[in-house]
Amino acid sequence: MLMSGGIDSPVALHYLLRQGHEMLAVHMDNRPFTDESPLAKILDHLEILRARFQQPIPLYVLPHGSTQVTLMRSTDRHVGCVLCRRFMWRGAERIAEREGARFLATGEALGQVASQTLSNMRSATASVRLPIVRPLIGFDKAEIEGVAKEIGTYGISTRPGVCCQAVPDKPATRTDLVQILAEEQRVDVDQILEDCVRRAQLL
Amino acid sequence: MAIDASTYRQVELCSGGGGFEAVPRVPLSLDLTAVAQRLAREGVATTDARVMLIVGLEVETTVSRSGRLLFKGRDRAAAGRAFDRLLPLLERAGRARTS
Repeated sequence: MLMSGGIDSPVALHYLLRQGHEMLAVHMDNRPFTDESPLAKILDHLEILRARFQQPIPLYVLPHGSTQVTLMRSTDRHVGCVLCRRFMWRGAERIAEREGARFLATGEALGQVASQTLSNMRSATASVRLPIVRPLIGFDKAEIEGVAKEIGTYGISTRPGVCCQAVPDKPATRTDLVQILAEEQRVDVDQILEDCVRRAQLL
Repeated sequence: MAIDASTYRQVELCSGGGGFEAVPRVPLSLDLTAVAQRLAREGVATTDARVMLIVGLEVETTVSRSGRLLFKGRDRAAAGRAFDRLLPLLERAGRARTS
């Protein structure tokens, strides 16, 4: 389960745990483009969900800031959010494979932010092979917030924090895979991923 | 035209509440390479992400090409001090845009 520290991911995780799935969490640490607050929020989210479902839910933290720097230096900023997501998915997939997980999951809901349009989701997730589960895909924000309040994660998610500084002024909301693959050729995907996964920490 | 305190609105809490930001009254076009070089001469570490700099001042600071400055943390006074230190090191790449 990809965890961001926001409102949605703990709610999505809640639904999957409620169905009885054994879950592990992955956080792509975006510092220095954010601050330490997302990780602190995730630790608190997991504390609540671990207690509620009596599951250990290991948390892997992968460094993502250096990936962002490479992408910002070498690729078209307008598609930065999609490229960023592709590396997040790949990092999560590497961890999933290492742990024997059979699917990836996120708290994405259609249309909430630039990276969550249908075409951008497709461009992003074409980078991985494992199936992707999105328990909140058809939810609206109010519904998600309602559940977050019920399970006690809302107050944590809405604590102060710095928004992602790597988001471009005008992120593309409609991308095609050909364009994304062409941009991605400007960076060494395998090298970035290896570096990221090698520095992963298990908390 | 020189960049000084009057170029910017007040340093204020950012939308996420986890830092403070200073936004120029009119978007600038900063020469980030020149800014990074000036900072280096002052012994300040920077990460150059081409379209922005991450600067290791008293509080970690993001300098965008448009001139927006983001000071991380909840310490308003420290953000103010970082702003004062950074301001004379900013350098325009071109003339201010009017829109």
